[in-house]
Amino acid sequence: MVPDFLTIAEAAKLIETKELSPVELVESRLARIERLDGKLHSFIRVLADSARTEARAAEAEIAAGKYRGPLHGIPLGLKDIYETAGVPTTGHSKVMQDHVPRADAFTVKKLRDAGAVVMGKLATHEFAFGGPSFDLPWPPARNQWDTSRFTGGSSSGTGAAVPAGLVLGGTGSDTGGSIRGPAAYCGLAGIKPTYGLCSRAGVLPLAFSLDHAGPMAWTAEDCAIMLQAMAGHDPADPASADRGVANYRGLLHGEVKSLRIGLVRHFYETDHPADAPTRQGIDAAAKALEGLGCSARELKLSPLAEWSACGMTIMLTESFAIHEANLRTRFTDFGEIFRDRMALAGLITGADYMQALRRRRELVAELDRAMQEVDIVMTAAAPGEAPPIESVGKFVTMEKPSLTMPFNVTGTPAMSVCCGYSPAGLPLSFQIVGRRFEDATVLRLAHAYEQATEWRGRRPAL
Amino acid sequence: MTRQELDAAFARLGLNVPEAERGDIAAATRILEELLARLRPAGRGVFAEPAHTVAFPRKG
Repeated sequence: MVPDFLTIAEAAKLIETKELSPVELVESRLARIERLDGKLHSFIRVLADSARTEARAAEAEIAAGKYRGPLHGIPLGLKDIYETAGVPTTGHSKVMQDHVPRADAFTVKKLRDAGAVVMGKLATHEFAFGGPSFDLPWPPARNQWDTSRFTGGSSSGTGAAVPAGLVLGGTGSDTGGSIRGPAAYCGLAGIKPTYGLCSRAGVLPLAFSLDHAGPMAWTAEDCAIMLQAMAGHDPADPASADRGVANYRGLLHGEVKSLRIGLVRHFYETDHPADAPTRQGIDAAAKALEGLGCSARELKLSPLAEWSACGMTIMLTESFAIHEANLRTRFTDFGEIFRDRMALAGLITGADYMQALRRRRELVAELDRAMQEVDIVMTAAAPGEAPPIESVGKFVTMEKPSLTMPFNVTGTPAMSVCCGYSPAGLPLSFQIVGRRFEDATVLRLAHAYEQATEWRGRRPAL
Repeated sequence: MTRQELDAAFARLGLNVPEAERGDIAAATRILEELLARLRPAGRGVFAEPAHTVAFPRKG
């Protein structure tokens, strides 16, 4: 009997020692998807046949002594903006519902090379921006802790599927918080890696200069395992960094006691006030990290609205440019939320965009200066528990400043980490941010925190 | 932005926005204007360079 819930690290250990068969593991996940996903809508396409074939191949390779590593035989899901050879990649949109790529995205190929089994394509907000939408070819994903609640977005299907144990990990993308938002609302770990660390080639773009591909999984250790496979230079992505890849899992167990943490309280106390349970969770997390030997002090940055305005202007402008042709000819084939946000985006002028890029340089320099004094920035990832899905408005992402956008503007690695549960039993979260290409430090601190607290021991009752 | 200005902008952009949705968008232009106003801090000089995030392609 395969347990309902396993982390990637736990399953990998069992597979390596031949105590767990990849075929059994994949069958158990397919049965779980069959039983639960009618309520969650986390998948828009389940690839049962190919997953079984891949699992059998993994099992045969491992039996033959060709174990590839900790993703070998592990069932993962792919946000449906990651291109998959011969399998539709739709962006959860009618506009691309018949799009069948000829090749896998670079990161998908790397995950397959590491032995991962692709279980299917996961729900997303339309083109990683517009949602939750009820007028698309597929329904929006539901939060597995309470299906009347929002998953966050845009990596909504990954946010729903991983904590529910339908897959052990999945891919996300993050342009203004689309990995960290669903990770926060759904209680999993999600890292937006440094800009350029993971190739975006074959990942449908939202905004070229802000888009990040990255992993989402139950723990920081699982994110490290996935990032190990996903990271690396790709000449097909003009922003891909041509540098070595750290040993993320190996570095998880290093010291954290010398780390200096800068706590940006004003982001979630005055600029976009978080609710009391979230503030208490972050305070407790800061204390827990001090208990591990880190030092924490308050850090002041420009008001959150400045960071958010800069990032949002860039995101809207670049996304309008990407979708301009289809918006002109097929406007009502897009969902209402996406198309109306894009209509608003069309009003931004070239001068506005250039001013946003100038502001970006100023803000990047500001964070770089601040991070000469601290190793880690810590702040909220979301203002509270997941709201009711029906309450999420069309322009909500613009009405209040985003707690996650600052680190898309700067391209620094940023991660959502669960720090407890609200009185209603919904996950709460905080954000850990590192210097560019110090993703290993972010993962190490998140791992140390998870090990020191009880939050990873709780899963949704489904 | 007035409703007339919005209609003119959509015509110029070539966007066929349904009539029923134009009111929501018109209301949201206030949010956009607030965002855009934040991009122009006082005192920025002419040499303030924009961020360049993407490298030029290599030769060959």
